Amino acid sequence: MKEDLMDIICCPLDKHDLDLEVDERDDEEVLAGSLVCTECGESYPIEDGIPNLLPPDMREDAPA
Amino acid sequence: MSDAPSRADVRETYETIGSHFSKTREYAWPEVESFVEDRCRGGVALDVGCGNGRHAELLADCADHVVGLDASRELLAAARDRLAACPATTLLQSDAATLPLADDCADLAVYVATIHHLPRRTDRRDSLDELARVLAPDGRALVSAWSTAHNRFDASADAERGFDTTVDWTLPGGRTVPRFYHIYAPTEFERDVAASDLALELLEISSGNCYAVVRPEGKRP
Repeated sequence: MKEDLMDIICCPLDKHDLDLEVDERDDEEVLAGSLVCTECGESYPIEDGIPNLLPPDMREDAPA
Repeated sequence: MSDAPSRADVRETYETIGSHFSKTREYAWPEVESFVEDRCRGGVALDVGCGNGRHAELLADCADHVVGLDASRELLAAARDRLAACPATTLLQSDAATLPLADDCADLAVYVATIHHLPRRTDRRDSLDELARVLAPDGRALVSAWSTAHNRFDASADAERGFDTTVDWTLPGGRTVPRFYHIYAPTEFERDVAASDLALELLEISSGNCYAVVRPEGKRP
Protein backbone atom coordinates (compact mmCIF):
# COMPACT_ATOMS: atom_id res chain seq x y z
CA MET A 1 0.00 0.00 0.00
CA LYS A 2 1.30 3.42 -0.94
CA GLU A 3 1.14 5.98 1.84
CA ASP A 4 -0.42 8.68 -0.34
CA LEU A 5 -3.48 6.47 -0.37
CA MET A 6 -4.12 7.54 3.23
CA ASP A 7 -5.81 10.65 1.81
CA ILE A 8 -8.68 8.66 0.37
CA ILE A 9 -9.12 5.52 2.47
CA CYS A 10 -11.29 5.43 5.56
CA CYS A 11 -12.96 3.03 7.97
CA PRO A 12 -15.53 0.97 6.05
CA LEU A 13 -17.88 1.03 9.03
CA ASP A 14 -18.08 4.68 10.11
CA LYS A 15 -16.02 6.36 7.33
CA HIS A 16 -13.70 8.10 9.79
CA ASP A 17 -9.97 8.56 9.17
CA LEU A 18 -7.48 5.77 9.76
CA ASP A 19 -4.10 5.89 11.50
CA LEU A 20 -1.32 3.97 9.80
CA GLU A 21 0.94 1.74 11.91
CA VAL A 22 3.85 0.39 9.88
CA ASP A 23 5.53 -2.91 10.69
CA GLU A 24 7.43 -3.34 7.43
CA ARG A 25 7.99 -1.20 4.35
CA ASP A 26 10.18 -1.04 1.27
CA ASP A 27 11.13 1.98 -0.87
CA GLU A 28 7.70 2.25 -2.41
CA GLU A 29 5.07 0.97 -0.06
CA VAL A 30 3.93 -0.39 3.26
CA LEU A 31 4.12 -4.18 3.21
CA ALA A 32 2.82 -5.01 6.68
CA GLY A 33 1.14 -3.10 9.45
CA SER A 34 -2.31 -1.97 10.36
CA LEU A 35 -4.85 0.76 9.82
CA VAL A 36 -6.70 1.81 12.95
CA CYS A 37 -9.92 3.81 12.91
CA THR A 38 -9.54 7.10 14.81
CA GLU A 39 -13.20 6.89 15.84
CA CYS A 40 -14.22 3.30 16.55
CA GLY A 41 -10.73 1.85 17.13
CA GLU A 42 -11.24 -1.10 14.76
CA SER A 43 -7.92 -2.34 13.43
CA TYR A 44 -7.50 -3.43 9.81
CA PRO A 45 -4.42 -5.49 8.95
CA ILE A 46 -2.09 -4.80 6.01
CA GLU A 47 -0.71 -8.11 4.74
CA ASP A 48 1.56 -8.62 1.74
CA GLY A 49 1.11 -4.94 0.95
CA ILE A 50 -2.68 -5.20 0.62
CA PRO A 51 -4.86 -3.68 3.35
CA ASN A 52 -7.76 -5.84 4.48
CA LEU A 53 -10.53 -3.28 4.84
CA LEU A 54 -13.37 -5.78 4.85
CA PRO A 55 -15.89 -5.15 7.61
CA PRO A 56 -14.84 -7.47 10.48
CA ASP A 57 -17.80 -9.84 9.99
CA MET A 58 -16.59 -10.65 6.46
CA ARG A 59 -13.04 -11.55 7.45
CA GLU A 60 -11.52 -15.00 7.22
CA ASP A 61 -11.50 -15.38 11.01
CA ALA A 62 -15.04 -14.07 11.54
CA PRO A 63 -17.26 -16.44 13.54
CA ALA A 64 -19.85 -18.09 11.29
CA MET B 1 -32.13 -21.52 -3.44
CA SER B 2 -33.55 -21.81 0.06
CA ASP B 3 -31.01 -19.79 2.02
CA ALA B 4 -29.13 -16.97 0.38
CA PRO B 5 -25.44 -16.98 1.28
CA SER B 6 -23.83 -14.10 3.15
CA ARG B 7 -21.34 -11.74 1.54
CA ALA B 8 -18.65 -13.55 3.54
CA ASP B 9 -19.77 -16.84 1.91
CA VAL B 10 -19.45 -15.26 -1.53
CA ARG B 11 -15.96 -14.04 -0.66
CA GLU B 12 -15.05 -17.60 0.43
CA THR B 13 -16.23 -18.92 -2.94
CA TYR B 14 -13.77 -16.70 -4.75
CA GLU B 15 -10.95 -17.56 -2.34
CA THR B 16 -11.55 -21.17 -3.45
CA ILE B 17 -11.84 -20.69 -7.20
CA GLY B 18 -10.01 -17.34 -7.59
CA SER B 19 -6.77 -18.59 -9.04
CA HIS B 20 -8.46 -20.70 -11.72
CA PHE B 21 -11.29 -18.22 -12.32
CA SER B 22 -8.77 -15.46 -12.89
CA LYS B 23 -7.08 -17.35 -15.72
CA THR B 24 -10.38 -17.41 -17.60
CA ARG B 25 -10.89 -13.65 -17.33
CA GLU B 26 -7.99 -12.48 -19.44
CA TYR B 27 -9.50 -9.73 -21.54
CA ALA B 28 -11.25 -6.46 -20.78
CA TRP B 29 -14.84 -6.21 -21.95
CA PRO B 30 -15.33 -3.95 -24.99
CA GLU B 31 -18.19 -2.08 -23.29
CA VAL B 32 -15.80 -1.18 -20.45
CA GLU B 33 -13.03 -0.24 -22.87
CA SER B 34 -15.22 2.25 -24.67
CA PHE B 35 -16.50 3.80 -21.40
CA VAL B 36 -12.93 4.23 -20.16
CA GLU B 37 -11.66 5.60 -23.48
CA ASP B 38 -14.46 8.15 -23.61
CA ARG B 39 -14.24 9.39 -20.05
CA CYS B 40 -10.95 8.66 -18.33
CA ARG B 41 -8.97 11.93 -18.04
CA GLY B 42 -6.50 11.62 -15.18
CA GLY B 43 -7.61 11.82 -11.54
CA VAL B 44 -8.53 8.90 -9.30
CA ALA B 45 -10.25 5.91 -10.88
CA LEU B 46 -11.82 2.98 -9.03
CA ASP B 47 -12.41 -0.60 -10.09
CA VAL B 48 -14.95 -2.00 -7.61
CA GLY B 49 -14.87 -5.78 -7.86
CA CYS B 50 -11.59 -5.66 -9.75
CA GLY B 51 -11.04 -9.42 -9.87
CA ASN B 52 -7.72 -10.07 -11.60
CA GLY B 53 -7.34 -6.40 -12.53
CA ARG B 54 -8.20 -6.61 -16.21
CA HIS B 55 -10.19 -3.36 -16.08
CA ALA B 56 -7.90 -1.66 -13.55
CA GLU B 57 -5.20 -2.17 -16.17
CA LEU B 58 -7.24 -0.14 -18.68
CA LEU B 59 -7.78 2.61 -16.12
CA ALA B 60 -4.07 2.70 -15.31
CA ASP B 61 -3.37 3.94 -18.84
CA CYS B 62 -5.35 7.14 -18.37
CA ALA B 63 -5.90 7.85 -14.65
CA ASP B 64 -3.34 9.37 -12.27
CA HIS B 65 -4.12 6.78 -9.63
CA VAL B 66 -6.16 3.57 -9.79
CA VAL B 67 -7.65 1.81 -6.77
CA GLY B 68 -8.75 -1.78 -7.34
CA LEU B 69 -11.10 -3.24 -4.72
CA ASP B 70 -12.18 -6.84 -4.28
CA ALA B 71 -13.46 -9.02 -1.45
CA SER B 72 -11.25 -11.95 -2.44
CA ARG B 73 -7.57 -12.00 -1.54
CA GLU B 74 -6.95 -14.74 -4.12
CA LEU B 75 -8.23 -12.46 -6.86
CA LEU B 76 -6.25 -9.52 -5.49
CA ALA B 77 -3.09 -11.64 -5.61
CA ALA B 78 -3.79 -12.27 -9.30
CA ALA B 79 -4.43 -8.54 -9.80
CA ARG B 80 -1.14 -7.66 -8.13
CA ASP B 81 0.74 -9.87 -10.58
CA ARG B 82 -1.12 -8.45 -13.54
CA LEU B 83 -0.66 -4.83 -12.45
CA ALA B 84 2.99 -5.13 -11.42
CA ALA B 85 3.98 -2.82 -14.29
CA CYS B 86 1.38 -0.17 -13.36
CA PRO B 87 2.98 1.81 -10.53
CA ALA B 88 0.09 4.17 -9.73
CA THR B 89 -2.20 1.32 -8.75
CA THR B 90 -3.32 0.28 -5.28
CA LEU B 91 -5.31 -2.78 -4.24
CA LEU B 92 -7.67 -2.98 -1.28
CA GLN B 93 -9.50 -6.00 0.07
CA SER B 94 -12.96 -4.62 0.67
CA ASP B 95 -16.69 -5.07 0.41
CA ALA B 96 -18.69 -3.28 -2.30
CA ALA B 97 -21.52 -2.52 0.14
CA THR B 98 -19.23 -0.83 2.69
CA LEU B 99 -16.51 0.96 0.70
CA PRO B 100 -13.44 2.07 2.72
CA LEU B 101 -13.11 5.26 0.68
CA ALA B 102 -13.66 8.93 1.46
CA ASP B 103 -16.63 10.87 0.10
CA ASP B 104 -16.15 12.43 -3.35
CA CYS B 105 -12.69 10.87 -3.87
CA ALA B 106 -13.19 9.29 -7.30
CA ASP B 107 -13.37 10.93 -10.71
CA LEU B 108 -14.27 7.72 -12.48
CA ALA B 109 -15.34 4.23 -11.44
CA VAL B 110 -16.21 0.91 -13.00
CA TYR B 111 -18.37 -1.51 -11.01
CA VAL B 112 -18.54 -4.33 -13.50
CA ALA B 113 -19.98 -7.82 -13.12
CA THR B 114 -19.91 -7.54 -9.33
CA ILE B 115 -23.26 -6.29 -7.99
CA HIS B 116 -24.90 -9.58 -9.04
CA HIS B 117 -22.73 -11.40 -6.48
CA LEU B 118 -24.28 -9.53 -3.53
CA PRO B 119 -26.89 -11.87 -2.06
CA ARG B 120 -29.45 -9.46 -0.65
CA ARG B 121 -31.24 -6.63 -2.38
CA THR B 122 -30.37 -4.31 0.51
CA ASP B 123 -26.67 -5.09 -0.04
CA ARG B 124 -26.99 -4.33 -3.74
CA ARG B 125 -28.81 -1.07 -3.05
CA ASP B 126 -26.25 -0.12 -0.38
CA SER B 127 -23.45 -0.73 -2.88
CA LEU B 128 -25.03 1.73 -5.34
CA ASP B 129 -25.38 4.35 -2.59
CA GLU B 130 -21.78 3.76 -1.60
CA LEU B 131 -20.67 4.28 -5.20
CA ALA B 132 -22.59 7.57 -5.28
CA ARG B 133 -20.98 8.64 -2.01
CA VAL B 134 -17.39 8.12 -3.20
CA LEU B 135 -17.85 9.67 -6.66
CA ALA B 136 -16.85 13.30 -7.08
CA PRO B 137 -19.76 15.60 -7.98
CA ASP B 138 -18.80 15.49 -11.67
CA GLY B 139 -17.62 11.87 -11.50
CA ARG B 140 -19.09 9.10 -13.62
CA ALA B 141 -19.32 5.33 -13.20
CA LEU B 142 -20.19 2.32 -15.30
CA VAL B 143 -22.24 -0.33 -13.49
CA SER B 144 -22.95 -3.70 -15.08
CA ALA B 145 -24.92 -6.77 -14.03
CA TRP B 146 -25.74 -10.12 -15.58
CA SER B 147 -29.32 -10.01 -16.78
CA THR B 148 -32.31 -12.07 -17.80
CA ALA B 149 -31.57 -10.88 -21.35
CA HIS B 150 -28.72 -13.40 -21.48
CA ASN B 151 -29.62 -16.34 -23.67
CA ARG B 152 -28.51 -18.91 -21.08
CA PHE B 153 -31.57 -18.05 -18.97
CA ASP B 154 -35.12 -19.07 -19.76
CA ALA B 155 -36.53 -16.04 -18.01
CA SER B 156 -38.08 -13.32 -20.11
CA ALA B 157 -35.96 -10.22 -20.55
CA ASP B 158 -39.18 -8.27 -20.03
CA ALA B 159 -39.82 -9.72 -16.55
CA GLU B 160 -40.40 -7.23 -13.77
CA ARG B 161 -37.97 -8.97 -11.46
CA GLY B 162 -34.91 -11.10 -11.84
CA PHE B 163 -34.07 -14.16 -9.78
CA ASP B 164 -31.44 -15.70 -7.52
CA THR B 165 -29.54 -18.71 -8.79
CA THR B 166 -26.33 -20.64 -8.45
CA VAL B 167 -23.96 -21.27 -11.32
CA ASP B 168 -21.41 -24.01 -10.75
CA TRP B 169 -17.74 -23.35 -11.31
CA THR B 170 -15.77 -26.46 -12.26
CA LEU B 171 -12.20 -26.53 -11.01
CA PRO B 172 -9.44 -28.48 -12.76
CA GLY B 173 -9.89 -32.02 -11.40
CA GLY B 174 -13.65 -31.80 -11.62
CA ARG B 175 -14.70 -30.35 -8.27
CA THR B 176 -17.61 -27.96 -8.67
CA VAL B 177 -18.14 -24.88 -6.53
CA PRO B 178 -21.56 -23.20 -6.52
CA ARG B 179 -21.54 -19.46 -7.09
CA PHE B 180 -24.41 -17.19 -6.08
CA TYR B 181 -25.86 -14.80 -8.64
CA HIS B 182 -28.76 -12.43 -8.63
CA ILE B 183 -29.77 -12.25 -12.29
CA TYR B 184 -31.28 -8.83 -12.89
CA ALA B 185 -34.29 -8.14 -15.03
CA PRO B 186 -33.36 -4.96 -16.96
CA THR B 187 -36.34 -3.04 -15.57
CA GLU B 188 -35.41 -4.13 -12.03
CA PHE B 189 -31.81 -3.00 -12.60
CA GLU B 190 -33.06 0.36 -13.78
CA ARG B 191 -35.37 0.62 -10.74
CA ASP B 192 -32.58 -0.20 -8.29
CA VAL B 193 -30.27 2.38 -9.85
CA ALA B 194 -33.06 4.99 -9.91
CA ALA B 195 -33.90 4.35 -6.24
CA SER B 196 -30.26 4.79 -5.19
CA ASP B 197 -28.22 7.97 -4.75
CA LEU B 198 -27.10 7.58 -8.37
CA ALA B 199 -28.67 9.28 -11.36
CA LEU B 200 -28.95 7.21 -14.51
CA GLU B 201 -27.50 8.76 -17.67
CA LEU B 202 -27.58 5.80 -20.02
CA LEU B 203 -28.88 2.23 -19.88
CA GLU B 204 -27.87 -0.43 -22.39
CA ILE B 205 -28.20 -4.17 -22.78
CA SER B 206 -25.16 -5.75 -24.36
CA SER B 207 -24.06 -9.41 -24.50
CA GLY B 208 -26.69 -10.33 -21.89
CA ASN B 209 -25.56 -7.70 -19.39
CA CYS B 210 -27.20 -4.48 -18.26
CA TYR B 211 -24.87 -1.48 -18.38
CA ALA B 212 -25.66 1.81 -16.66
CA VAL B 213 -23.65 5.01 -16.95
CA VAL B 214 -24.34 6.90 -13.73
CA ARG B 215 -23.40 10.03 -11.82
CA PRO B 216 -23.99 10.93 -8.18
CA GLU B 217 -27.36 12.53 -7.69
CA GLY B 218 -27.70 15.88 -6.00
CA LYS B 219 -24.00 16.74 -5.64
CA ARG B 220 -23.07 20.16 -6.97
CA PRO B 221 -19.86 20.29 -9.04
